[in-house]
Amino acid sequence: MESNHFDVIVAGAGISGITSAAAAASRGLRVALVSTGPGTFVLGAGCVEVQEMDRGTPSLEEAINFFRNLTDLAGCGFLGGIGETHYIPTILGSFQTVSLAPFYMWNGEPSESSQVAVVGIKGLSSFDCNFVAERLAYYTTKLGWGSTYVARDIELSTESGTVPGTLQFGNRYDRDLHFREELRDALKPIAAKANVVILPGILGLRSGQSEIEWLQKELGCLLCELPTLPPSIPGMRLFNRLEARLRKVGVEFFTGFPIRQLQIEDGRCKAVLLETPARPLRLSSETLILATGPFSGKLLGAYSAGVNRDLHPVNAAGEVLANNVFAAGAILRNSGARGGNAMAILTGYISGMLAAGVGVQYAQR
Amino acid sequence: MRKDDVSLDNCLKCSDCNTACPVVTAHPAYPGPKRLGPELERMRREGIECDTDWLEYCLGCHRCDLACPNEVNVSELIARAKASHKKTPIRALRDWWFARPGLLGKLLTIAPGISNFSLRLKPVRALMSVFMKITPERTFPAYHKPLPAGLPTTPQSSAEANGSARVVFFPGCFIQYNQPELGCHALQLLQFNGFQPEVANSVCCGVPSLANGNPEEARKRAAANVNNMIDAVNAGARIVTACSSCGHMLKTGFADLLEGDSALAKKAEKIAANTYDIAELLVLQQDAGKFNTQFQPAAAPLKLAYHAPCHQKSQGIGRPWYHLLRQIPGVEIEDLNAGCCGMSGTFGFKEEKYPVSMEVGSELFAAVRASAPQAVVTECATCQMQIVHGTGVKAVHPVNILLNAYKAGARP
Repeated sequence: MESNHFDVIVAGAGISGITSAAAAASRGLRVALVSTGPGTFVLGAGCVEVQEMDRGTPSLEEAINFFRNLTDLAGCGFLGGIGETHYIPTILGSFQTVSLAPFYMWNGEPSESSQVAVVGIKGLSSFDCNFVAERLAYYTTKLGWGSTYVARDIELSTESGTVPGTLQFGNRYDRDLHFREELRDALKPIAAKANVVILPGILGLRSGQSEIEWLQKELGCLLCELPTLPPSIPGMRLFNRLEARLRKVGVEFFTGFPIRQLQIEDGRCKAVLLETPARPLRLSSETLILATGPFSGKLLGAYSAGVNRDLHPVNAAGEVLANNVFAAGAILRNSGARGGNAMAILTGYISGMLAAGVGVQYAQR
Repeated sequence: MRKDDVSLDNCLKCSDCNTACPVVTAHPAYPGPKRLGPELERMRREGIECDTDWLEYCLGCHRCDLACPNEVNVSELIARAKASHKKTPIRALRDWWFARPGLLGKLLTIAPGISNFSLRLKPVRALMSVFMKITPERTFPAYHKPLPAGLPTTPQSSAEANGSARVVFFPGCFIQYNQPELGCHALQLLQFNGFQPEVANSVCCGVPSLANGNPEEARKRAAANVNNMIDAVNAGARIVTACSSCGHMLKTGFADLLEGDSALAKKAEKIAANTYDIAELLVLQQDAGKFNTQFQPAAAPLKLAYHAPCHQKSQGIGRPWYHLLRQIPGVEIEDLNAGCCGMSGTFGFKEEKYPVSMEVGSELFAAVRASAPQAVVTECATCQMQIVHGTGVKAVHPVNILLNAYKAGARP
C-alpha cells in the first residue's frame, strides 16, 4: 500500500477536526490530520455551549461524552454536560453561559459561599482586575447569586527589557520551577482570604492537570483561569494537549501546508494535494473530512450548497459532490448549522464515525 | 517558497507564530516573529529605521511559517531584514567565516590532522573565544578528507546497476568535510535500493550564508550549484540530499535567491522539483515495491528516539525516516516531538547566543533523557551535535541505522 495512503484525511485542526480525527483513530483507522495553524484555539478557551442546540439531537450525548473522555486522556479534562447551564466569568467582567468548560475555568462559577479574589498582574495590560471584579460584583448582586469579589494586584518578575505578557508568563510556568514558586508566593496572601482566585490565563501552554492542580493545592483554594487577548494561553494549552494525545494514538500530522486541490473522480475524492515546497505532496485516502472552518470552505468551490443527512456536501440540486467526503464543524455554518463548539464536536464525532463505517446520523435542524 | 507582498497583509496578529517560536518560548526578551516579521516590515518598507539587534536571534527554523494559519512568510521577512544589521567588527569577521563553511572546510581539510588537533587545544579555543566570539563550551566537529565528486568508490556491478535510476547525491558541507563516511554510506544505501548514485559537483548550499546575514554570498552559491547540476537534471537524474538543511535550501531557496536572473531561476525551479530527501526517495521506492527489506537479524533489540529537524518539517514530506526505521526488525523507535534543538547550524557556536541555544534545546534534552534511548536518530548534523552536547546520548544519522540493518543487523 502507498505510504501516504490513509483511511481518513481530516482537514483542519480546530475542535471539530481534532474530535473527528480522534473518533476515527479510536476505531482503529489510520488518520492524517492536515492543517495550517491551530484553529481558533489561540483566540479562546474552547468552552462548549449546548443551549443553542436541541438537547435531543441524535448522537449529541454520545459525541459530548467522547469529547469529555478525549480531554480527560489529554490531561485537560472538561467538566459539565449536556443539559447543564453554568456561568463562567470573562475578562470583560461578564458571565458566559456554558455547558462544558475545561477544568481550569470551571471554578469561576458564582455560588452563595464564594469569596472571590480577582487577581491582576502589575503591568499586564490585557487583564484589569478592578474592572473585572467591579462588573462581576454588579452582575452577581443584580442576579442575587451571593458571591463577593475583591480586586488584587500582584507583581511578578519579568525578563529585563520586557513588559509583562501572558505568553512570557505561560512559557515560564511551563519551563521554570522558580517562576511557579514565585507565582505561588505572590498569590498566597490573597488566597488566604478567598476561596476562589480568578487570574488571567498564564498557567502554561503545555501544562496538564497535575501542573495546575499543584498550584491549587499549594494555595488551598480554587483557581479559575480566564483567556485574555491572543494568544490565549488556556486555548493553546488545550490544543497542545490534544495534539500530543492524537500523536500518541497514531494520528499522522501534516502541519503548515494548505490543501490546494481535491482530486475528485467518479464521485469520489481520491486524494488531496498539499502545497508543499518543490512539488505538491499527494495524500490519498478512503475518506476525506473537511473541518476547515467557515472562512476556508472554498475547496469545495461554489458547487457546495450545504450538506445532506450524512454530512456529505451537496450541490444546489441536492446531489452529493463526492460520496466519501464529509463536512464537519464551522464550515457547516455556511449552510445554516448553529451551535458553536457543541456543533463542532457533534459533527466532528459523527464524521469520524461515519468514516469508520459506524452508523450515526446527523439530523440538521 | 510562498512569497508575494500580499502575504504581509495576511497577518491577523493572532500570535500563533509567537507561540510556536522556540526562541520566544525559551527567551522571553526576544520580540518574536510577529513583531520582527510582519509588524516591523511595514516600517522597514516605509524606510523607517528599526532596531535590528534581535533579527540575529531568529533561528531560521520556519516554525512560525508552519504555525501561521494565513500563509504569511514570517521567517522570510526576518531573513531578508537580517542583512541590514550592522555587526561589531569581531562578530562581522566571525560571521564572514560562518557564512562560508565550504571555504572553511577546504582550508581545514588540507591537513585535517593538524586542524583537528589545533581546534581541540584549550588555548586555541580560548583565543577563538576572545578574538572570534566563538564559545569555548563547544568542540568543533572533526574534519576529514573530503568526499570526492563523481562516482562512488565502491562501484556497483554492472548487473546491479542495470536498469537502476540515476541519482545525484548532493552532500553539503558537513558530509563533504566532516562526515564523508556518512556520504559513502548514503551512496551504498542508494545502491542497496536500486539506484545508481554519483556525487554532485557541488558547493555550499547557502543556508549558513543566509543565516549569517549574507544573501549575496548565498546567491553565488546557489548559482554555482544550479549551473553544476542542471545538466544531470535535464538528463533525467534526481538530486538526493541527506542533510535536511541542504534539502530545504535546494527545494525552497534557490529560485528565490536567483529571482533577478530569470533563466537561472527557471533552472533553479527545475532543480527544486527534482530534489528529494533520501528518505523521501526510499519511501517512493517502497510504494513502487522496490524498497530493499533484506534486513539482517539484529543481535539485540535497539531502542531509538527520533528527533525531526526543523528543516525536515519545513519540507512538508511527513516523517519518512520514522516510518522507514520502524520496519527494521528489532528496532523500537519513539518520535520525541520536543521542538527545536536550538543549534541552528552556526548559531549555537556564537558566544553571545550560546545560552539561548541551550535554553531552546532544554525541552528536547529533557525528552531525550526521559526516553533513555540507546541512540537519538536525526538527519541534521548540527542537531546531532547539540543533542550529544546537551545530553551525552549518542546521536546518529538514520542512514547509518538502515545501512547497518542491511549489513549486520540494526545497531546504533
